[in-house]
Amino acid sequence: MGSYDPSGNLRPERGSKYRRPRRPVSWLALFLGLIAGIGGGLYFAWERDPRVEFDTEPWQLTEADRAEYIVAITLNYSYDGDLARAVNRLIALKLEGDPIQEVAEVACKLATTGYVDSSSGLRAIRSMMLFYQLQGRTGCADTLIPVSDQGTSVVNIDLPTPTPAPPASKTPTPEGTARPTPTPPRIVPPTTQPQTDFALPVIRTDCVAELPGLIEVFVQDFNGEGIAGQAVRVRWDEGESTFFTGLKPERGPSYADFQMEAGKGYTIDMPGRSDPSEQPLVASPCTTAGGGQSITLYRVYFRQAG
Amino acid sequence: MLRFVISLIIGLAVGAIIGLYLGWVQFPVQFVNSPASSLSERAKNDYMVMVAAGFLEDGDLGSAVDRLRLLGVPNIPAYIQQVTESYISNSQDVNDISYLVALAEAVGRLTPIMQPYRRVSVPGS
Repeated sequence: MGSYDPSGNLRPERGSKYRRPRRPVSWLALFLGLIAGIGGGLYFAWERDPRVEFDTEPWQLTEADRAEYIVAITLNYSYDGDLARAVNRLIALKLEGDPIQEVAEVACKLATTGYVDSSSGLRAIRSMMLFYQLQGRTGCADTLIPVSDQGTSVVNIDLPTPTPAPPASKTPTPEGTARPTPTPPRIVPPTTQPQTDFALPVIRTDCVAELPGLIEVFVQDFNGEGIAGQAVRVRWDEGESTFFTGLKPERGPSYADFQMEAGKGYTIDMPGRSDPSEQPLVASPCTTAGGGQSITLYRVYFRQAG
Repeated sequence: MLRFVISLIIGLAVGAIIGLYLGWVQFPVQFVNSPASSLSERAKNDYMVMVAAGFLEDGDLGSAVDRLRLLGVPNIPAYIQQVTESYISNSQDVNDISYLVALAEAVGRLTPIMQPYRRVSVPGS
């Protein structure tokens, strides 16, 4: 039997919505608004007013520009032979599959276009071929482009100069005299480049307040293990100094260092075992990470040639 | 009805803020097929170092400048000078600096700050 309120109306049942207090918000409307708002916001942010394109990374380039970027990577590799850096640059391109094989694919595409019509284009493709062939990859450019347009080594041969026979005279000349003597051929063999035990040094710079103007040298075998007792030579305008690795055991067997004078330029090599650095190490001022002043620190790595 | 409308408006406003945040910050549009002219400064500089090394390899200045045209800069020699000086000022890799200095010198933009980094012959050799 239902109960009645003082006005004589039937009371709503206990579970009825008329017995619950009214919520200040409509959850349904809030949910619908939220969905519509997110949708509208995304539409505005992606379609109507997307972020202005800047700071594009190499992997976002067009196919043509990405090919040019790859060309630049392999040209750089042709010059410095730094495989790790070249591979890191290729990885940044986010190429599908094997990045080195992708270089071969790009070289193949370029080799079938007018790109090879210019000598610089041809050189560029050859640099790509050199890069991927050294890593054991192949591509269609191998068959389309000859590896090198340079001729083979020239061998100079000095041919014997023919000596004309003397004219006949009325007086017979006794045999066995004045016979032309053939000059034996002289062959000049092609010269070979001097071989060195260590590759050109890899030089890195740093700026450390505690180590101003220091050259830190590391001599390693081809496995990256330090080698002690190796002579390293630093030369500058007025003189030179030779020092040895391993004399500071706390820094490992590969380590040696040299203190530069501010403002001077130095070259470094391993006498008779490596070519000298191609550019001077300059003791120039630099700014440390903390904003202080110091002199550039160089880290020089000599790696045994495989 | 008023309650419904107010809730809808609040939902729309909050949703729009969330949508813009997602669209502009969290998941912004990823551009592909972009021209090299829109490359980040770091990538442009790296590209220039590579081109400079290529120039040292083949000595072909025309090709090097052609390759740099890709970056869409109006004055390539001035840009080479600017990047080279920036590398020197920021104590970047000395090899990279020497490549850039060689290229700057080739385009006639060698400045005093670059002089120490010119490629030199070894004393005594």
